[in-house]
Amino acid sequence: MSWDGIASGLRSFVLWIMDVTAVPIIIYFVLINTSLLVLIGLAYLEFRAQQRRRSTAVAWQGAGLAPGVSLLVPAYNEEAGIVMAVKSFLTLRYPRHEVVVVDDGSSDQTFARLEEAFDLVHVPRELPHEIPIRAKVLGIYVPRDGRTRLVVVRKENSGRSEAINVAINAASEPLVAMIDGDSILEPDGLLHVTRPFADDPTRMVATGGAIRPVNGSRVVSGRIVRVEMPQTWLPRIQLVEYLRAFLLGRTGWSRLGGLILISGAFGLFRRDVVVEVGGLDPTSIGEDFELVMRIHKRLRDEGRDYSIEFVPEPVSWTEVPVTAKVLRNQRRRWHRGLWETLWAYRSMLFRRKYGRIGWLALPYYWLFELFAPLLELFGIVIVPLALALGIVNVPFAILFLVLAYGYAVLVTLSAMVVDEWAFHKHDRWRAIWQTIAASVLENIGYRQATVWWRLEGWWSSLRGKKHVWGVMTRTGFDEEPA
Amino acid sequence: MIIGAALLVGATVVVLGACVLLIFAVVAVRARRHSRNQRDEMLLSPLRPPLITVASGEDDDGAAAEELTWATGVSRTVLDRNIVEMLTKIRGVPAEQLVHVLEVHGAVDAAVADMSSRSTVKRARAAQLLGLARAGHTVPLLVEALGDESVEVRNSAAYALGLIGDPAAAGPVLAAIGAPERGLPAATAAEALQSMGVGISEVLRDGMADANARTRMVAAHLSGERSFTRGLPELRQLLDADPDLTVRETSATAIGRLGRAEDVGILVRHCVPSEPLALRRACVVALGELGEAEAIPALAHLLADSDPRLAELAATALLSMGPDGRDALEGHGDDPAVRTARLLASLQKASA
Repeated sequence: MSWDGIASGLRSFVLWIMDVTAVPIIIYFVLINTSLLVLIGLAYLEFRAQQRRRSTAVAWQGAGLAPGVSLLVPAYNEEAGIVMAVKSFLTLRYPRHEVVVVDDGSSDQTFARLEEAFDLVHVPRELPHEIPIRAKVLGIYVPRDGRTRLVVVRKENSGRSEAINVAINAASEPLVAMIDGDSILEPDGLLHVTRPFADDPTRMVATGGAIRPVNGSRVVSGRIVRVEMPQTWLPRIQLVEYLRAFLLGRTGWSRLGGLILISGAFGLFRRDVVVEVGGLDPTSIGEDFELVMRIHKRLRDEGRDYSIEFVPEPVSWTEVPVTAKVLRNQRRRWHRGLWETLWAYRSMLFRRKYGRIGWLALPYYWLFELFAPLLELFGIVIVPLALALGIVNVPFAILFLVLAYGYAVLVTLSAMVVDEWAFHKHDRWRAIWQTIAASVLENIGYRQATVWWRLEGWWSSLRGKKHVWGVMTRTGFDEEPA
Repeated sequence: MIIGAALLVGATVVVLGACVLLIFAVVAVRARRHSRNQRDEMLLSPLRPPLITVASGEDDDGAAAEELTWATGVSRTVLDRNIVEMLTKIRGVPAEQLVHVLEVHGAVDAAVADMSSRSTVKRARAAQLLGLARAGHTVPLLVEALGDESVEVRNSAAYALGLIGDPAAAGPVLAAIGAPERGLPAATAAEALQSMGVGISEVLRDGMADANARTRMVAAHLSGERSFTRGLPELRQLLDADPDLTVRETSATAIGRLGRAEDVGILVRHCVPSEPLALRRACVVALGELGEAEAIPALAHLLADSDPRLAELAATALLSMGPDGRDALEGHGDDPAVRTARLLASLQKASA
């Protein structure tokens, strides 16, 4: 067959593909953008209410009904920052909280650093087995001073989820906060996220707080003393993603009563409810998402009246990947976790008893989170091909691209307005221009790369490939900007 | 073609136009905040020295407070806002002097008028100001605001009523928690009720019979916190039969604080394995708090419980109950729960 013949055949094939898919893709495009607009609208309403609340807030120092909180900190090879992190968690402003660190079989000096810093002594305590644990607990330690509310549990290595389950068993307070050892909490963060529990103590079962990238900010002794933009574009673009996800996505879903995702970097739960549903699933890749789904399912199956809320105040700061390799691993894991959890809870779709979770949130996540990279990849392949074959009108294609990516920028800018209006964490004007630039640059290369990585994660799950946890290379953030 | 060129161009122009508008919005929000802060700072700077003099309690002759009353126009508005903020932190004579400044400025009367404003923020701030000014004559107005359509106003009204501390408002505050669709957040209600003195015990008893679980929980919690022993019969009833686990746990804790020897049996009844673990643990802690010797056999029995934490709590409770309690631990010296409780007690004793 001649080249002309091949080109002609390919042209016919691409034309046929475009004919078949044009209508569904346009419908999808309209639907996804409309849903984003709705989320922006809902988030706007929520922020207006939040702003009103803030401007009329009365002082609350957590007296009275503030429930006690156990901060659960799984640690694996965290010798560099664990002592500073624990000290900063212990000094958070809150009337009653303890810190439970689980050293998940670290091969470095994590435990030795803690032992030295807090003068730990071994206690012959037996841990409750409310949540079944496979790994062996090696020892439980408390500070010799008898006052510092710290418990350190050493166990064999078995992963983050099981480390958290051990910490839940060891926790003694009615609320448990799951946090990463390298996270930095706002001094008043606990007061913010526990407030919904104090306001509605019989119904509230979980709250999530907003998370921000800490890269670039100045951190001293586990506290952020100056919020700065990250120094490179990769984390800057992730900052833009975080703004969108937390200030529009979660806030909008919370307003709608359909919050199904609480980030693993910071989530607060009623301990008895987590125990009741069996704790985190150590076999799940998206363990945080899976836990929230399990809670929704159990409580709705039992017809219980409950609430899960998102608190938009920045509560926790975390270091985001600075290299493409680490970012790739993270996105693969996230998308794989999304797929496996959505698949596991497919029976909740379109069932009356699951209300907005089954009718709105889950279909949205299936359509616009899970399938989005697939459709985007389709566009990334088919549009250049069609252009090369001269099938589509070039100005038309460019205009469509500008519209699609312009809309993405619009969504980010909406989040920026909300952030500036409600929180204004960045003092410098330069931060505004860098964020705007990041929201544009995101569409050039970054977005396409994450599409591919997400699909890789999905594909490896479909092939039943075992997930390998990558190492998050931390640059650390004590004293100097990260 | 599925999408007409005109539609595509139109949509692109709209989207890009909206992007430009949002960039302007970001810049405008920041610029406005900067300019407002600068203006406030400029207006407040000449008034700051007398304000600090009053707030620090050094205005013996009242001259500084008098100077503050002269402020007019926008300066007065900014000053009043700062005074209101200060009133949340200071007490005594300086607070009274600052309230006097607000009264001279007409801020208290304006707040009364603002309680019927259409603006939620104005109504809420007005309610707070009335509370901070301890305007006792506005209690009926604030009670009415507990049923406001906006939760911010309801919150502020409860806060103000707590500051004024009139026990007559306790009933409405407690009732507002369970108001359908317009409920008062439990945390605010609890803090307000905390400040209302001993005259609220009967209200709390009634609250424990309320249909709303949050109301019952707040009433039970406060009965324990304030040691209102008259509420004991209701607390026992809640512990026995309330459908809400949180209410039962709260009641157990409250009984631990203010119960009597006869409450040992009730608490022990709920330590049995058929009860939810969280409630059993709360009851064991309550038995320790109660400190009655009658609880010792039951606590000793719980040392062998299958839940290690419950056993440790029982050991801790026995250790706190004097020689008889400690005697009950004999024979269990090798139990991890007992060893842990003893070790922790010794560490605490050494650091005391």
